[in-house]
Amino acid sequence: MSRFEPLNAGNLRSDGRRPLELRSFSAELTTHPSADGSASVSHGLTQVTACVYGPREAKNRAQTMHDRALVNIEVEVAPWAGEVRRQRTKGDRRTAEFAASVKATFEPVIQTTLYPRSEIDIHIHVLQLDGGLLQAGINATTLALVDAGIPMLDYVSSLSAGLYHTTAMLDLTNLEESDLPSVTVAVLPRSGKVTLVSMETRLHVDRFEEMFKLAMEGGKVLRGEMDKVVRERTKVLARQMEGGAAQDEDRMETDDL
Amino acid sequence: MLHTPGNPVTAHRPGVLHSKKQQHWVETESRRYIPAPQESVIGVIVHRSAEAYRVDLGSAHLATLDALAFEGATKRNRPALKVGNLVYARVSLANRDMDPELECFDATTRKADGFGELKDGFMVECSLGTCRKLLDSTHFLLPALAQKFPFEVAVGVNGRVWVRAGSTKATIGVSRAIQMLDNRRTSDEEVASYIQQMDV
Amino acid sequence: MPRDVEPSINQRDFIFSAIQQGLRVDGRSPLQARKTTIRFGNSLGWVECSIGETRVVAQISATVTRPYFDRPFEGIIVIHTEFSPMASSAYETGRPSEEEITMARILEKTIRRSEALDREALCILAGQKVSVPHRETNTKIVRGQQVWTLRLTIQFLADEGNLLDCACMAAMAALRHFRKPEVEVVGDEATMFSPEERAPVPLALHHQPLCVSFVSLGPRNTPVMDPSRLEEQLAHGKMTISLNAQKEICVLQKAGGVALPADEVLHAVNVAVSRVRDMSDLLNRSLEEDSRTRVIEVR
Repeated sequence: MSRFEPLNAGNLRSDGRRPLELRSFSAELTTHPSADGSASVSHGLTQVTACVYGPREAKNRAQTMHDRALVNIEVEVAPWAGEVRRQRTKGDRRTAEFAASVKATFEPVIQTTLYPRSEIDIHIHVLQLDGGLLQAGINATTLALVDAGIPMLDYVSSLSAGLYHTTAMLDLTNLEESDLPSVTVAVLPRSGKVTLVSMETRLHVDRFEEMFKLAMEGGKVLRGEMDKVVRERTKVLARQMEGGAAQDEDRMETDDL
Repeated sequence: MLHTPGNPVTAHRPGVLHSKKQQHWVETESRRYIPAPQESVIGVIVHRSAEAYRVDLGSAHLATLDALAFEGATKRNRPALKVGNLVYARVSLANRDMDPELECFDATTRKADGFGELKDGFMVECSLGTCRKLLDSTHFLLPALAQKFPFEVAVGVNGRVWVRAGSTKATIGVSRAIQMLDNRRTSDEEVASYIQQMDV
Repeated sequence: MPRDVEPSINQRDFIFSAIQQGLRVDGRSPLQARKTTIRFGNSLGWVECSIGETRVVAQISATVTRPYFDRPFEGIIVIHTEFSPMASSAYETGRPSEEEITMARILEKTIRRSEALDREALCILAGQKVSVPHRETNTKIVRGQQVWTLRLTIQFLADEGNLLDCACMAAMAALRHFRKPEVEVVGDEATMFSPEERAPVPLALHHQPLCVSFVSLGPRNTPVMDPSRLEEQLAHGKMTISLNAQKEICVLQKAGGVALPADEVLHAVNVAVSRVRDMSDLLNRSLEEDSRTRVIEVR
């Protein structure tokens, strides 16, 4: 059995990337037209979809808050998503933790005070998993919320990073995640502040700083990619709204996010 | 305590037996408030509707405070309290079959007399026994603190005390003194010396 | 479903204005922890830890079982957290709330995933058939039982804020305090001795991770360590860092909440390093004191 080599002699990773190179990122908005907002995001082989419903009347009156909207996250991991086919039960702790992390990440970013006593439901479906679950989930949710037109303070851009000896690497695959100390970070790119930091592996304090800062920088770069997708989509929408007769393609109604 | 003629008097709650002339009562150390009429309590507004407020007293049920139950309130002119405000009120109705009711004015004079919204300050939670001690004018704690600095305090018999002093440090000082008094492990001497050494 | 009443506006405004001045309601400074004490019970592996008025009990029991089929040379540790309304009326037995799940997950990651416990040392026999005769009772021949399974039960007795740090401390203390019966392996046979015959043996721990929790309080998101219950309720964001005395981060969890600049996260890590050092010293001292009061006869 060949030993997994995170970084080979030519400074290339197992999938041929350079250490700070991100996987191929693609995103699509409005994948589920029946939802108020939806998006599908893929980082390399990891693919996650998010659907947003709301703000709408809460199903459970007792749980609403009098001055803000309630944010609910539901996560479903498809049985074929991982390496081995596995049907996850509803009460699976890891999934519950993932949902709680996403909820805590978006609650302060969505302007919930604009919709008191209502509810915003977000459904996340994990279709294919090759490392970076938290990062893909957060990015998909950001784009789905943008698609739904729900006001937020900023994009939430998330990325994972790992450390092999002294080399930091960005955007880890499943193999890399299981082998190296890693951290997942979610940033608000405009302010440069971090809203989520999640590390579960042992790492010395001194080596942590570099990996952490690089992950934040990477998150800011990723935001650029997400923004491109949003603007492309908006162009299409604007064209459709004008009945396709408009000649001036640069007339967009978006704010500078 | 219960006395049926012909049988000896029995106590129904654990505590210290007190006697004053012909009156005997058992004082229980408890933290959960059971509303009784004419008692002054501190409540937190948890819900607001057109007619009334729902107030949390730390008891089994939420109490109702009519929106007009304030001094000089009319339909056109009434205080606008929000969810999260603190109020000092009097229990006007406490029946074990119904939710308790509150009023923010004195029963006889119908004037505010200190009842109403409590602005700023900090609320300390303690046992009912501690509140009774603080209401006793001969108890040492409040006068000892008053020697150090001026402050305002509202004691609710439902285990809540509201404090407001000139500076944040002073307010913290008062609240810590009350908490020390409440703590069964600290003696009165320790509380007194804490107050003495307070640097505000 | 009982839900904790949200603190009043007065409480919130006061705590926020106090923290802006660097003051906390119990007289502490923002990065100061409450008094931490550890108490050991009569049986080995029973520990009660308290931080301020928050109290947690951890206890360990060990049984001999079959290992997991994909890990035949490792022992098993099962961590069970029990939230009960005894800790606070906001908790309910049965379905755990989000907060409870998060806490249980961080404890699991800190204790199990970081490999604090040497699981391979819990392996008794890596063979097919095992007979484990117990000297006290009649010989018991059981097929396939080969490793120790430790059950770590954590009970939350009182919640006055920061249950997590308290629970982790109690758990690590219990792991260090516990002694398992000695087992002698000769060839294919394992003999387990009762505590009266041979002194029981401590567990093998690789390292000792402890948790340090912070919250962000007030309009300027001041970092506050070892939050009290009220501070937890009013916090804009929470962060927990698990470290060991060798300055290795085992878990860093800041799941959402208000966004912080990178430097503040790194600063918190440094504060956590010194707090873990203090907690480790306390733990070592307490264990030493306790071992002096116990009599272990060596025959």
